Amino acid sequence: MSRKYLSVIGAAALSLSLVVAGCGASQGGSTAPAGQGSQTASGGEIKIGLPLPMTGSEATYGKDMENSIKLAIDEINAKGGIDGKKIVTVTGDDACDPQQATAAANKLVSAGVVAVVGGYCSGAVVPTLTIYNEKNIPLVVTAANSSKIAAQNPGNAFEINGTAVHQTQKAVELFKKLAAKSVAIVEQGDAYSADLAKQTEAAWKAAGNTVAAHEVTNKGEQDFSSLVTTIKSKNVDLVFWTAYYADGALLIKQLRTGGYKGAIVVGDGSADPKLSQIAGPAAEGTYVLSPPVAEYLPEAKKFAEAYKAKFNQSPGAYAPLAYDGMNLLADALKRAKSTDGKAVIKALSETKDFSGLAGKVNFAADKTLKESNFIVLQIKNSKFALVQ
Amino acid sequence: MSVSSIILQQLVNGLILGSFYSLVALGYSMVYGIIKLLNFAHGDIYMVGAFVGFAALGVFGGMLGTNWLGILAALIISMILVGLLGMLIHRVAYQPLINKRAPRMSILITAVGVSFTLFNGVMVLTNGEYQSFNTSLGFEGIGIGPINITYTQIVMVSATAILMLSLYWFINRTLYGKAMRAIALDQDACRLMGINVTRTISLTFFVGSALAAAAGVMAGVYYGSIHFFMGFVIGLKAFTAAVIGGIGSIPGAMLGGLILGLLETAGTQLPFVGSAWKDVFAFGILILLLVLKPTGILGKSEIERM
Repeated sequence: MSRKYLSVIGAAALSLSLVVAGCGASQGGSTAPAGQGSQTASGGEIKIGLPLPMTGSEATYGKDMENSIKLAIDEINAKGGIDGKKIVTVTGDDACDPQQATAAANKLVSAGVVAVVGGYCSGAVVPTLTIYNEKNIPLVVTAANSSKIAAQNPGNAFEINGTAVHQTQKAVELFKKLAAKSVAIVEQGDAYSADLAKQTEAAWKAAGNTVAAHEVTNKGEQDFSSLVTTIKSKNVDLVFWTAYYADGALLIKQLRTGGYKGAIVVGDGSADPKLSQIAGPAAEGTYVLSPPVAEYLPEAKKFAEAYKAKFNQSPGAYAPLAYDGMNLLADALKRAKSTDGKAVIKALSETKDFSGLAGKVNFAADKTLKESNFIVLQIKNSKFALVQ
Repeated sequence: MSVSSIILQQLVNGLILGSFYSLVALGYSMVYGIIKLLNFAHGDIYMVGAFVGFAALGVFGGMLGTNWLGILAALIISMILVGLLGMLIHRVAYQPLINKRAPRMSILITAVGVSFTLFNGVMVLTNGEYQSFNTSLGFEGIGIGPINITYTQIVMVSATAILMLSLYWFINRTLYGKAMRAIALDQDACRLMGINVTRTISLTFFVGSALAAAAGVMAGVYYGSIHFFMGFVIGLKAFTAAVIGGIGSIPGAMLGGLILGLLETAGTQLPFVGSAWKDVFAFGILILLLVLKPTGILGKSEIERM
């Protein structure tokens, strides 16, 4: 009851802010008519929208990605911007929530952004695709990777993170390597974790194996004791957790406390050093499927240093891709020689061997990466170490 | 594991989960009982309690160690400080509205406001980061056949029981408890009898908040990590537990928490459909319970509220 209550209040507050933002934009339009929409011409600025979770449970990731994108922009602007125009940003807080994301997307559109970079939670990205597409605004999705994005992509979204398909391949490869016989998959019912869980189950079964248990837990619940009992009673020898690190760390801890001895594999949502910080010694030996993390990429060393110098902390899991996403967009803007949405979308689809921190970017027909960029890490002495 | 031992182990799991719900539900029920306010900030009080305990353990852990003695110190400090915070919230955000005889809806909204203020405040202070509660408690426990209960679990459940019994004694056997029960019945009559109503309501907030803080610290110790949003889900669950037990009733809140914990655990064991349906199952039964007995299991319609 109170969840509904809160969301009603949240929605009311957001629609209010939307009205305010809308007013602001129209006032701006009347004083500077040429600055509106996606036309080229006047003004020395290109406005880029950043839809990211800045509040709520995923706020840490959002801030990390925003930092990273701003770092890329500072470098681009320092080199003279794009054809002499400086890049400026507007951040829209999607709070990792579909409703708030829709409001945030509308806010960005009315602020007159030329293109959009970001997107952390798949559930928050999917409902915004058409909002941007109506205005021909290209969207470079740097972290969210549910297959729903590719499936519902009206043509303006480009995913530079490996999708669930890429991750699933890597997961099945790892399960085989660990000689797993009885696998339990645990998800949280949200678009991202359910998707990865279902596809992995399908792929694992297609490879001639069985899944002993497919369990769903609720986000934010701290108690996994009944789940641990179920897993132990089914003699599982590999647990695959497909959701985020905060709850994943609790699951790992409770699995080990409860006496589970098999392997634990976690998906890329849990690829954060905080996983082992929260879970403590229980996390030792856990396998982590990860997007290309800066520390393990030779090309990303300079980036990691610059990030650390500027923000006084290490870049998080999705920082390199956010950085790549912004640079890819800048590259496409240059190639398009225009800020017209259609031209930029065309330039993005024609991307050929764009070289980012996480390797080469080429797009398949469905505008996802052609080649998987996932890596496998293992927690050793409380630190992630590259396995392959 | 045999079927019967799985059931027994799940029973233990459900009781432990339920005892956390009960502790938080008590605060909801007490406040509702005395001023008919749904204190939506109560889940966040639990969260603040966990953070105060975390900070206290950081300060005293060096002196007393991070085992039971240090945890006990953190627990007591957190209960006192957060109890005082509860009184402050009452004085600042609720009592002025009560004095002006504001509509109940306005007080409800200030409660929502307090909730947002608390968790966003903590979010800013902690940078939205998860903090790990490092204690030196081990995984050892006793095994009764195939059932495994750790010492930590035994201590948690015992501590909850002690807190609840003390509360029961406080409400039913002390003068202040009597004042609380009297105010729940008729505030104006109490004022005429010379009972300091505002101070007694304040005391209710202190006790309710201290219990939530105790639950917060214990959850931090038990699960090992805390963050600013941890009060949201448990706030909802505890509120549900309080209503199921009969809101306003102290034994009802205890019972409601245990029932909810057991139902949720039972829900994960559903045959054929799997754990995705656990909440549908648990809350379906709760709806049924309320349809059959709208005042909750131990709730009485309008006669006595404490």
